[in-house]
Amino acid sequence: MAHEFRLPDIGEGLTEAEILRWLVAEGDRVEADQPVVEVETDKAVVEIPSPYAGTVLHHGGAEGETIAVGSVLVVIGDESETATRTAPPPAGSVTPEPSAPPVASAAPIVGTLSEEAEVLSARADENDAAGQDTIRALPIVRKLARDLGIDLTTVRGSGPDGRITREDVMTAARPAGQPTSPPPPAAAAVEVPAPSGSVTLPVPPPVAGVGQDERRPMTRLRRTIATNMAKSWAEIPHVTTFDDVVATRLLEIRSALGARYETKIPVEALVIKAVIPALQAFPEFNATLDGDDLVLHGSYHVGIAVDAPEGLMVAVIRDADARGVLDLAAEVRRLGEGAKARSLGPDELTGQTFTVSNIGAVGGGHGTPIVPYGTTGILSVGRAQEKVVVIDGELEIAPVMPLSLSYDHRVIDGAHGRRFMALVMENLEEPALFLAG
Amino acid sequence: MFSLIGPDGTVRDRLPITLEEMRGLYADMVEARTYDHKCMAMQRQGRLATYAPFEGQEAAQIGAAAALRPDDWVAGTYRDAALMWRAGYPWRLLIAGRTGDERGGQPPEGVNVLPPSITVGGHMIHAVGLAWAESLKGTDRVALTSFGDGATSEGDFHEAMNFAAVFNTPTVFLCQNNGFAISLPRAEQTLSESIASKADGYGMAGAQVDGNDVAAVLCVVRDALETARSGGGPTLIEAVTYRVGPHTTSDDPTRYRDEDETAGWRERDPLERVRLLLDRAGGWTQEWQTELEEVASRRIEEAVAEAEALPQPTVEEMIRRMYEEPTGPLRAQLDEAGQ
Amino acid sequence: MSEVTLAQALNGALDTALEADERVILLGEDIGRTGGVFRITDGLQEKHGEHRVFDTPVAESGIVGAAFGMAIAGLRPVAEIQFLGFSYPAYDQIINHVARIRNRSNHRFTAPLVIRVPFGGGIGAAEHHSESTEAIYAHIPGLKVVVPSTPSDARGLLLAAIEDPDPVLFLEPIRLYRAVKEEVAELYYTTDIGPVRVEREGGDITLISWGAMIKETRAAASLLEEAGTSVEVLDLRTLSPLDHDGIVASAKKTGRVVVVHEAPRTGGLGAEIAAVIQEQALYSLLAPVRRVTGLDTVFPLKRSEAHYLPSVDRIVKAAEETLEG
Repeated sequence: MAHEFRLPDIGEGLTEAEILRWLVAEGDRVEADQPVVEVETDKAVVEIPSPYAGTVLHHGGAEGETIAVGSVLVVIGDESETATRTAPPPAGSVTPEPSAPPVASAAPIVGTLSEEAEVLSARADENDAAGQDTIRALPIVRKLARDLGIDLTTVRGSGPDGRITREDVMTAARPAGQPTSPPPPAAAAVEVPAPSGSVTLPVPPPVAGVGQDERRPMTRLRRTIATNMAKSWAEIPHVTTFDDVVATRLLEIRSALGARYETKIPVEALVIKAVIPALQAFPEFNATLDGDDLVLHGSYHVGIAVDAPEGLMVAVIRDADARGVLDLAAEVRRLGEGAKARSLGPDELTGQTFTVSNIGAVGGGHGTPIVPYGTTGILSVGRAQEKVVVIDGELEIAPVMPLSLSYDHRVIDGAHGRRFMALVMENLEEPALFLAG
Repeated sequence: MFSLIGPDGTVRDRLPITLEEMRGLYADMVEARTYDHKCMAMQRQGRLATYAPFEGQEAAQIGAAAALRPDDWVAGTYRDAALMWRAGYPWRLLIAGRTGDERGGQPPEGVNVLPPSITVGGHMIHAVGLAWAESLKGTDRVALTSFGDGATSEGDFHEAMNFAAVFNTPTVFLCQNNGFAISLPRAEQTLSESIASKADGYGMAGAQVDGNDVAAVLCVVRDALETARSGGGPTLIEAVTYRVGPHTTSDDPTRYRDEDETAGWRERDPLERVRLLLDRAGGWTQEWQTELEEVASRRIEEAVAEAEALPQPTVEEMIRRMYEEPTGPLRAQLDEAGQ
Repeated sequence: MSEVTLAQALNGALDTALEADERVILLGEDIGRTGGVFRITDGLQEKHGEHRVFDTPVAESGIVGAAFGMAIAGLRPVAEIQFLGFSYPAYDQIINHVARIRNRSNHRFTAPLVIRVPFGGGIGAAEHHSESTEAIYAHIPGLKVVVPSTPSDARGLLLAAIEDPDPVLFLEPIRLYRAVKEEVAELYYTTDIGPVRVEREGGDITLISWGAMIKETRAAASLLEEAGTSVEVLDLRTLSPLDHDGIVASAKKTGRVVVVHEAPRTGGLGAEIAAVIQEQALYSLLAPVRRVTGLDTVFPLKRSEAHYLPSVDRIVKAAEETLEG
């Protein structure tokens, strides 16, 4: 049987050696441990003895040739055999007798230096871990969030330095809050504008270059909005009803108030006043669906859409039922400024029980607002535009304000929705009606 | 320098050793040299780690070991395979140690030979402790420690010599002055007149002997052992010899010494002079020589086969080798390793 | 039973060991005739003889190397190195031979010896005499490292160390030698090497320490308790092998841990303890694991010692920060 003897690492990290002189010719007989060849390493000239007795069948290289460690140095076998190539075993080992186990290359006293250098590639730029390192939460809280499937980027922390506490996570985990605990943060209600409206929406920045894609990671706010939007869309069966209301009286009152108090009264302030009685009459619109329970809220915290630099956010006017028009107007203004300055606190951004969205501010008409997660209804108010209307059988031109009401069809059926809307419209068409009480 | 047999095999005075003993010493030296050559070959075949050959020093090692009692302690170095073997350490374990297996460090019960010390100069003090313990226990065992000329520069040599003398321990310090500490010649290692003369500084007895003369070494070591055994304290013996081969298989001596010098020492070969002596005395034949070589070769090959047949060590064995019982952290690591 | 200091307890333990096991011998500088520079071996040579208690030349490496040989030959040597700051010449013998011989010889040869070393500062000593480099010894595989802080532990742990089949570095807190007294039984008993000692049980915060620092830690715990905190105090006692279970159990119980040690901060054993805690008890933590330690400076001379050593105030402050979360 032919044995391949491969060039071992005899010099502490040797990778190759030059064959200087063959001491035994092909065809000659050789004894075990008899020197067969002289090789030169970078340290010295060394004689290598044969591990086998037999006939030299094949020289692995010619005199003067350099061969690598692990390649065949010499093949020794029976006179009658020819040297055949077999698959290479690991470098440095001797192909053993069938009965003997393979011997791995032993390390020298001082160990073996690898001479296969690893090529270092240019350093990759430090990744911008957007937002991840600014989430402050104890390991146990992070684990809890993981176990509950809560994305900590969507949770606002109530602990010191904005740290997210266990309670914050537990709250975020409930589909709807209990009266005493804050509901999950509101999503910005972004409506899809009706195709007929001429709408000027903020135009997304142009994509870089023709045919080149630009990948822009979402900001934390955007991610939060996206997550909540997805939740609402997935869980709440939406119904949207569309109406128009003649806004003549509303706008007259608005002007009068504005002139008297030398201030601009945002339309939302009046709309909220109009809506509160309806919420009181139809408490299902001021509620949270918690499992199998519909929690009818005792407070009226109305969310309004505010325009923040990164997108529409919802800010919350707390206890809207207890505020007069001027107070509401001031709040709307304050929250609008606060949103732009990103200075609003957690209880100004979460906890709404109903939402009023003035898309008229950006020129919207009708739309299909998305019910913010944790509530059951949202009223979208579009821009009042002069239209031809029929009043008492006569054609008139009057400002017409489009209304779109979306609600959770699990808890509010169509008739209920219509009745709610009818009441809101009555109030908007004749604001004196919500002055009573 | 004490000697009995000259390089040409002639004896100056009477030889206090029988012919049979001489034949025994010769056979041992032949086997030792066979082992040494085999290890060199195995290293060149990639089957052994870096190997430190002792060719040229057979007489110093066999002669010293032959004087020992089986229960005496031996603390030697990585070059002392012949000494260790003659003192009872099996060839197969010496080989296993060089393949990188801790089982090579485990001699049989009753063989009081420590595994070779790799650090230079750190182990002589161990022999002092061993000897000291034996005298405290009331036995008459001796501890022999073997080291080279280079080791005498290490601080621990000084501490060992001092302790041995102060506490009168039954220790024999055998310095095989083989001329080199890797590349540094003996003359640049110390300016002491001889290594044996260093004993004076410690109030210890010292002796210098021709390290290539197995009979002389045997006699000198025998005397030192006797002195130690009878409570006479330690002795420093300098066996003057020569490292014919390289420091290790990674070393190239042509870089720092003259081939002529080495050739000169080959003419003072420890085996050849005994062969000449035996031949003259009718105690050597070619048949006997061949038989010796064959027997030695067969024994070494057996040892090689046994060493190479050792199964792959396990991680569990490695972890359990640290203490009698694995500690907490080690048990945890054992669990991790098992997964 | 009698009330003894740490030094007296050690003396008693050595006396007992010499009495009980003829294989036990003591060796070291000045331990025989003069009874040791701290009198730990006082009277022992007189009582047990010059063939049991040896005064050696000044040679730390020699002392440990010789003890090593003796242990292999079947004796149970207890070697003394006069101060941890002088142990480094012997470090080679310890790391290269004492801790390895079992491994090197596949259990055939072992080194059941004890190396006793006074250590630690706070005594206004000269340079090198206040070292706390236990971490470089705890890092050696094959060695055990033990530190008693009470007289009863001193006796039990020393007798256990002498019995141990493996080598033990026995560190003695110099500052406590005469500063703590306790009733110690005179009979032969051993205290297991390994488990922590719960000095005090509590639920709000865990303080872990060893050696002389136990004194300050104990005092800090009292102050915190007065202020209404429930404090658990662990005396580690064994630095190698570390009691992972004991440390982790306490960390899980309180969720807040402060480690106190004299040694310099970086690479000190506080780091290893913190690593173990975060590996095995991360989700129980209510605050980061804090360490109150010596600075990363050379141990200073007397006049600056107070800047360096953890004080009761520093420990209390760290605990309060930890309690705040």
